[in-house]
Amino acid sequence: MPTIEDLHRDTTSAVAAPTPTNVATPAPPRAFTPRKKKKPWKSWLLFLLFAGPNVALLIVFTYKPLLQSLYYSTLQWNLGSASAIPVGLGNYVAWFNDPGTVRVVTVTLIFTVATVGGGMVIGLLFAVLLNRKLHGRGAARTVIVAPYVLSGVAVGLLWLFVFDPNFGITAALLDAIGVASPPWYNDPHWALVMVIIVYLWKNVGYVALIYLAALQSVPRDLLEAASLDGARPMRAFRNIVLPLLGPTTFFLSITTLLSSLQSFDIIQAMTKGGPLEGTTTMMYQIYQEGFQAGRAGYSSAVATILFAVLLVVTLIQMKYVEKRVHY
Amino acid sequence: MNTTPTFTINRRQILKLAAMFGATATLAACSGPSLGAGAGAADVAVMDWTGITPAKEITWWSNHPGTSKLIEEEIIKRFQAENPEIVVNLVTAGANYDEIAQKFQATSGTNSVPDLVLASDVWWFRYMINGQILPIDDLAKHLEIDTADFNKTLYDDYTFTGNHWAIPYARSTPLFYYNKAVWAKAGLPDRAPKTWAEFDEWAPKIAAEGGVTPLGLGKGASWAAWWFCNMLWGRGGAYSDEWTMTLDTPEAIAAADYLQALIYDKKIATVAAVDQVADFGAGLTGCIMGSTGSLTGILKAATFEVGTGFLPEGPEGQACPTGGTGIAIAADRTPEQQLAAGMFLKFLTNSENTAYFSSNTGYMPVRTSARDGETMTKVYAEFPQFRTAVDQLETTRSQDWGRVFVPNADKELTTALEKIMLQQTDPAEAFAVATTAIATSFDENVSPYL
Repeated sequence: MPTIEDLHRDTTSAVAAPTPTNVATPAPPRAFTPRKKKKPWKSWLLFLLFAGPNVALLIVFTYKPLLQSLYYSTLQWNLGSASAIPVGLGNYVAWFNDPGTVRVVTVTLIFTVATVGGGMVIGLLFAVLLNRKLHGRGAARTVIVAPYVLSGVAVGLLWLFVFDPNFGITAALLDAIGVASPPWYNDPHWALVMVIIVYLWKNVGYVALIYLAALQSVPRDLLEAASLDGARPMRAFRNIVLPLLGPTTFFLSITTLLSSLQSFDIIQAMTKGGPLEGTTTMMYQIYQEGFQAGRAGYSSAVATILFAVLLVVTLIQMKYVEKRVHY
Repeated sequence: MNTTPTFTINRRQILKLAAMFGATATLAACSGPSLGAGAGAADVAVMDWTGITPAKEITWWSNHPGTSKLIEEEIIKRFQAENPEIVVNLVTAGANYDEIAQKFQATSGTNSVPDLVLASDVWWFRYMINGQILPIDDLAKHLEIDTADFNKTLYDDYTFTGNHWAIPYARSTPLFYYNKAVWAKAGLPDRAPKTWAEFDEWAPKIAAEGGVTPLGLGKGASWAAWWFCNMLWGRGGAYSDEWTMTLDTPEAIAAADYLQALIYDKKIATVAAVDQVADFGAGLTGCIMGSTGSLTGILKAATFEVGTGFLPEGPEGQACPTGGTGIAIAADRTPEQQLAAGMFLKFLTNSENTAYFSSNTGYMPVRTSARDGETMTKVYAEFPQFRTAVDQLETTRSQDWGRVFVPNADKELTTALEKIMLQQTDPAEAFAVATTAIATSFDENVSPYL
């Protein structure tokens, strides 16, 4: 009967440390790679059980409409009609040749740059402020983040009254300092400014919240070390905090860009794309052409173009911007 | 430390992705319209309705115009008391005519199509060319609906190719509303101006003595191009002659010049920022052109006495468009459902219910018998303003095809009018852009379906 010592010895011999002998012996060449052992059917069943519903939902509600839209974009089709006429790339050609396209693209660009850029800057400022030990910090955080969870239509309707040049709060405040209210609703440029302000008010809380979480994970010892080395707060922020916020900024740049380009509710509630189509973005144009004008094919073409733009911009961000991010 | 994740994809993943897209592409190809020439209107072949049993349940899509949900529910209750074998489901299918239309078009070819749907002045034609609604005449004859009793203009609004495609329901016209207190201050007679020339004479007094902007104008889709019919037709112009746009005529340009002059030269009119009715109710403007459908709301909201009158005449005489909505029966339903829908439609628009609906909402009584009946007579006695709206009905005319029958035409005309009113754009230039866009829309979205 082996003793405990014997067993121990046997075990150690089984996993013996390499000796000059066994190291020198070359491993026999593998004639073939053995096939992986097939997963038991239970694993597949489990996979289907958990992933199946999500995959099915994705196919039915995301990929199928996407491909359908691509197909419809090649048709001249009145929404509601049982038949359509194939026109190939005619809808795309029509969109690029439409004199109104330049205006729609310009409005989309201004709206996107202002809401994404403005949202990131203001959101970061709020996050930095909320990260400090201030009185009423909890209440301030709630106030800043709360609009984000509100319905866009409700926010739009609320601000509709705020900006009313006759009865609104902005008119009263401006009047108090002797300034007339801008024609928010009758001038296309002011109308665009107005919807940008409202969009920022609603969504800046989201950016602030994400930045705040990121700020709280910045290692304190780095900041303390910088302080000991004589770095002023601004320099420490620029050279330490901002680079460490890189992944968060990258994440936010993608999510806010996608959200901004797909913005619809506030514009619908406040201006309906007007006046003079001054707040008609590509997203709003898709709705107008598809559901108001009934040009389902043309609308699908604009949707496909917008999808392509989103895809390209996101890929560019992933390829070039991500390289500058330090994880 | 650099832990930057890399974006790689292997052959197996590519194959999986391709399989997923292949599956979805197959699914995508299984639905959508059939290919070929435009389908056009529903079949108008004579249908033998005898021997068909009405369905036991029908659905009606409404936006309850004039906050009429309770009124509509009451009429349904009355119908079911007489026809207990037919259940009518009232569905709030949108906040306005446009939202209902969008849903109705989107449900085409599905099982969610309602049996009855509101069909407004700018939507019924599109339903018709898409083959989504049933011609009414045959069914009306079978059900003995007294169509001769309908106001002729309102009923004939739904005529195309010799058939009627809807029955008038919540119909309205623009009406001239004025602030009696302002009028009194300005020393004006207690009536609306008979002509725009007379209004031009009165306006300086209204501004000086009344202390308000004389005229409030509304902008926005489904509105600006509607009331502008008054100025346009009053000067002998029109949006179109059937399918030919006529915005380049001297009469049309003169009408737009007049409108622009009211705002920029004479400075006696202003374009409301949000809602011209609210501005008028708050006493910011002396008068407006509003819908008769707003009558009850305006009378309730105003803190001053409101006067009403016909829209002012232009050099070529009186000009007032019809508007509002009718009700249509969906084509893509079984004959049993269509028959039951027709029975309810007959009940909904009979003389008694027409008067009940009109007296509670402010919409026009669409039947002559209802207009002259006891219920409405009482309403006229209590609200003389209502009588004005009803009397004006006799002067109305159906709208130009170039606005109401061409998809997006109203939006193009609205944009042109907004340019003229808000940016002082040359009317000829603004109208030329609208004309081109509407002509293109006709070629693409109407012509192939006619």
